[in-house]
Amino acid sequence: MTLFEVRDLRAGYGKVDVLFGVSLTASKGELIGIVGPNGAGKSTLFGAIVGTVGLRGGSVFLDGEDISGKRPEDIVRRGLSLVPEGRQIFSGLSVIENLTLGLTGRRDKHGEKGALERVHDLFPVLTTHRDHQAGMLSGGQQQQLAIARALVADPRVLLLDEPSLGLSPTVVKDVFDRLIAIAESGTAVVIVEQRAHLVTRLAERTHVLRAGKLQATLTKEDAADEAKLTAAYFGNSGE
Amino acid sequence: MIQAILDAVSLGGVYALAALGLGLVFGVMRLVNFAHAELITVASYTLVMTHQFPLVVSIVLSVVVASLMALLMELLAYRRLRGSNPATMLIVSFGVSVLLQKIYELVFGALPRSASVATGLTGAFTVGGVSITTASVVTIVLAVVILLAMGYLIERTKLGLQLRAAASDFQTARLLGVRSNRLIASAFVISGALAAVVAFVNVVGNPQVDPRFGLDITILALVGIVVGGMNSLRGSALGGFIVGAVLSLLNVILGNGRVYAYSWMFVIVIVILLVRPGGILSKFATKERV
Ligand SMILES: Nc1ncnc2c1ncn2[C@@H]1O[C@H](COP(=O)(O)OP(=O)(O)OP(=O)(O)O)[C@@H](O)[C@H]1O
Ligand SMILES: [Mg+2]
Repeated sequence: MTLFEVRDLRAGYGKVDVLFGVSLTASKGELIGIVGPNGAGKSTLFGAIVGTVGLRGGSVFLDGEDISGKRPEDIVRRGLSLVPEGRQIFSGLSVIENLTLGLTGRRDKHGEKGALERVHDLFPVLTTHRDHQAGMLSGGQQQQLAIARALVADPRVLLLDEPSLGLSPTVVKDVFDRLIAIAESGTAVVIVEQRAHLVTRLAERTHVLRAGKLQATLTKEDAADEAKLTAAYFGNSGE
Repeated sequence: MIQAILDAVSLGGVYALAALGLGLVFGVMRLVNFAHAELITVASYTLVMTHQFPLVVSIVLSVVVASLMALLMELLAYRRLRGSNPATMLIVSFGVSVLLQKIYELVFGALPRSASVATGLTGAFTVGGVSITTASVVTIVLAVVILLAMGYLIERTKLGLQLRAAASDFQTARLLGVRSNRLIASAFVISGALAAVVAFVNVVGNPQVDPRFGLDITILALVGIVVGGMNSLRGSALGGFIVGAVLSLLNVILGNGRVYAYSWMFVIVIVILLVRPGGILSKFATKERV
């Protein structure tokens, strides 16, 4: 059953249009990829979904409810969280303060303790550094914190914008293993990546976004096919 | 000598409170709310107009009135300006300031209104042969208590955490569920309450309230937050304290030359800013506002 649906989304900044009708869906527990070159509109797509970039058309549905055009602080309360590009942790605050802020977006205030315990199981290193300034963490630890901070809100849909950015290959693998675990626990996970190969192998479906439109959709099987992948990414398929 | 130090500390404390009120609003909105002066003024009028009431009632009323007015400023004027550039917001806050001064003039007249408020605090007492004014001691105690309470609020409560987060990156705070309207309104209400405390101390010292009563202290508190570092509440309070204390000491040191106290204080301010352009406790955390 479809949990999350983006329908014909259009968005832009000022006089410039960036997205020209993007549609995608995700079901409970699915991991979906979105890949595409710099400036394709990937971050704009996420921004438009979570309410930080103005919509110019189309809608977003979460569990059947139309959440398009709502404010970011209301959208997160409905169960949709974004781990933004560049992590955006509060570097001057401690790790636990960052996590506590993440609790703000919960619908159910009773589960706070459980949510923090789950973070402890998934990212033990954050518990070790609980009272340290978040800015002192390594890049990989900061990414874990950014994910954990979104996770404590118990999202039904988790969006991640380039979680691999600036991380070494081993750390990237580590982070993606956790994302798989998160999806397996029932959350729909949508990952934006510039480095397509990171996500195509894992994702149920990977959409290629170029020039503000979804140009192709790849399945896990397609991912093995190097030629098909390259063609989809660079947009010279069938020509 | 001891009295001079007490006076410096108490004036420093008052300016620290004024600067903190300004700094709170600046933190979440990047708005230099010049009309903070009119919050101090309205609280002062409230104290003078209700001087026949029991002191506690009078103080509570002044806090309520100043907080309400701060909230109205945000709802009627500043809310529309979210995300505008800081210069626009500053100009609008000048406008709000002037408008309120005119309204005060219409309601209370241009001449000072006066009444002795808290007469119990105007005397002096002697400790070990040194005469000390009651007002300076009460002011210091009040400032310390309020600053500690604010420290607790900012460092230990959820609201404080949200205020700190929003001051460093409001957009991310909203993504996590921080309700922007509610948070900004809270910052205004708290700044109104702080203005009322400043008003109380000032009215006790000088119960001659006119429409421009809050202006001087607000301008100096603004200097204070620039000196201390606009991006940190600690810096704002510290800067306010330094400006108040230095001004008070200069008045004593300069004796007959005290008309130059402001000039010398600005010399000191300029020197501080030359050494630390971002303020004493400067941090660079300027991100896009809501
Ligand atoms: N705040 C903004 N104001 C104006 N234009 C913007 C803004 N943010 C992005 N753009 C423009 O929108 C287009 C899409 O940008 P976006 O950040 O969505 O791309 P992206 O796919 O996330 O790229 P990257 O891989 O570099 O993160 C770009 O042309 C960019 O210049
Ligand atoms: Mg991007």
